[in-house]
Amino acid sequence: MTAATQAPARPVRARASRLAPPLSFLRLLRIELRRNAMPWLLPLIAALFWFDSYRPSTGQPPLYVLRTFWNMGQGHTFIDFGPFVAGVAAWMGSRDGRRRTADLVTGTARPRWTAQLATWGATAIWAIGGYLVCTGVMFAVYAHQGVQGQPPWWWVAVGATAVAAFSAAGFAVGVFWPSRFAAPLAAFGGFLALIMSSQTGFHDNTGWALILPTNSNGNFQADSGLLYPWLPDLPIARIMLLAGIAIAALGLLGLRDRGDGPWLRWLAVAVTAAGVAAAGTAVGLVTTARLSADGIVIPALHDAASDRPFSYTPVCGQAAGIPVCVNPAYRRWLPDVTAALGPVFREVAGLPGAPVRATQVAAVYNGGEAGSTGGQAATIGGRPPVLSLAIGALGLPGAFGATATLFADQLQLLAVHAFVGAGAGVGTSAQQAVQAALWQGAGVAFAAQPQVMSTTGLPTFAQAAAPATGPVYAAARRLAALPAAARQAWLATHLAALRSGQLTLAQLP
Amino acid sequence: MTAADTREPLPGAGPAWPAERRAAAALRLPWLFLVSRRVPAALGLLAGLALLLWSALYWHWSISGGRAAQQFLSLTVETGAAAVIAVTTYGPFGDPERATGRWLPYLRLGVAAALTAITYGALAAAITGGALPDGDLALLRNLVGITGIGLLCAAAVGGAFGWTGPLAYLVVTEVALTGNPTTPWVWPARPPHDLGGALCAVLVFAAGTAAVTLFGARDSGRHCTPE
Repeated sequence: MTAATQAPARPVRARASRLAPPLSFLRLLRIELRRNAMPWLLPLIAALFWFDSYRPSTGQPPLYVLRTFWNMGQGHTFIDFGPFVAGVAAWMGSRDGRRRTADLVTGTARPRWTAQLATWGATAIWAIGGYLVCTGVMFAVYAHQGVQGQPPWWWVAVGATAVAAFSAAGFAVGVFWPSRFAAPLAAFGGFLALIMSSQTGFHDNTGWALILPTNSNGNFQADSGLLYPWLPDLPIARIMLLAGIAIAALGLLGLRDRGDGPWLRWLAVAVTAAGVAAAGTAVGLVTTARLSADGIVIPALHDAASDRPFSYTPVCGQAAGIPVCVNPAYRRWLPDVTAALGPVFREVAGLPGAPVRATQVAAVYNGGEAGSTGGQAATIGGRPPVLSLAIGALGLPGAFGATATLFADQLQLLAVHAFVGAGAGVGTSAQQAVQAALWQGAGVAFAAQPQVMSTTGLPTFAQAAAPATGPVYAAARRLAALPAAARQAWLATHLAALRSGQLTLAQLP
Repeated sequence: MTAADTREPLPGAGPAWPAERRAAAALRLPWLFLVSRRVPAALGLLAGLALLLWSALYWHWSISGGRAAQQFLSLTVETGAAAVIAVTTYGPFGDPERATGRWLPYLRLGVAAALTAITYGALAAAITGGALPDGDLALLRNLVGITGIGLLCAAAVGGAFGWTGPLAYLVVTEVALTGNPTTPWVWPARPPHDLGGALCAVLVFAAGTAAVTLFGARDSGRHCTPE
């Protein structure tokens, strides 16, 4: 008998200490972190992130909701990361199979599933770390550039979870198909899934399609993060889905290795089931979603505190002597707003119902994508009358191709539309004629009006624009041709009838 | 003993191999090379990609967002095919293969060219499923150019990671297609008969093929791929 057999047996560790992350696992994780392929690709991904996510966003006005619409709302940050991460994870997952070392490592002390989790964990740590660093640097640059509003942190969390899900799914592909083609298959499969989800996501704004991570319909609009908080409901549901996919993929790995013992297999079954349940619950939750004024609300996840608007001290300017106040985040456009509203206020000065102040109100969410669908009508109400404008719903200069001239034209249209009492609709023929005449007086020629009305950022009433001909524009031209004093006098007499809808086109001068 | 004596058959040696056996022996090397590069599996994947393209065209899968977006699905399939071709350059033998294989450059060239031609044939057959935006001429240009990127990437970073170049180019193209690029280096965004785009694609393919032919993929005996 040798000395070795006479040595006392090492005491069995208590169950609690067995369940705690052992030092050997951390050592394994450290080795995997050092020997991982992910860091080699991070410079390429960072370059693509700059080109695809950051660079296009710089063309947008300096508001977080607009700057991050492309990269967070439409999911370009994880389009840049996800497929590459899935490919590298597949490469790492297929390592034992490719090298024919699976049997060799199965005999080691550590269960295969645990060792695979260490490999995946190292890949995911590099990938998520890289994602967070890139996003953090981007937000730091935004902050340095004076971008206004609250960053969409919930959407950053969605992106990080998406990266984790891609890494887990890619790793599972590599484990189950240990081939050199596993990496491109996982990468291009992930890319294809993302762009195909855009196909549905760009169309649908209700139901299950809201869960798609690239769907930005009705969930990424002004004035989130500016006049009210970002609603976390939809991001939480998407995090549940993506985390569920990641957990299920990792659980499947444990089901594969038969040598790990029954309790580990049962644990793998439970983990897989939990992942599937989380993903299914997330899909179920979004089918109950509804569009509210400040975003997508999912009743089971909604916190009423999220609906409270931000309090702020407005910044004000003067337009023809009338105060115009906006949220401080919109300060840079205050001169544009006052310059646009000045001619309108001069035209209607002294008339009944003419506004004595203009103020910004929060834009209300609609079902489409930011910048691509109808805006929100202005209103005049209260005593004394106040013009309320949802500036965030308009095409701000620089946003989605809008210009300062177009912004001014749209503001004037909204102001005169509200003044003639047309409300949210097209208005009567008489209201349309007076609106056209006042708008022309503010500086937009009759011939140019239909073109401006067809631009995005305006409410639906503008979409009914017709060519500047016909009886409406004939009446508008007659009214505009009157001397200013005569036009003022006629308006002062007939405004009440005009706003109540009783005035006909024939009654115009 | 003279040198001439050594050319005489040894006593007891058998007769010379028959012609068919010599032909089989000559084909053995290319076959072993194809197997070592997993070309049969690659052909299966390429057939799958052709089927995917056919399905996308037949059932009118598309991404909303205008003409540029319409061509993105087919471009993704073409890029995936180019990535598969690039990954076949990965060789598992390293130095022994490089030291003993004098036919290696010809085999590399032959496999890269043949796979590109076969892929084009398969994808061209697949577009009979529907109308491909820009037609088969653009398909050829895009496939050739992106395959060149994949081969260059394989020569630079390794065959196992040859897919990263085509995927990165696809992401760059996605952004470029949303704008109005004027550079011919983003050839998928150019009209099918654009000479500049075609020249750039051919140039990249020539460079990639030359690099892989002369030097092989980076992991073929010169450098280990990361874990």
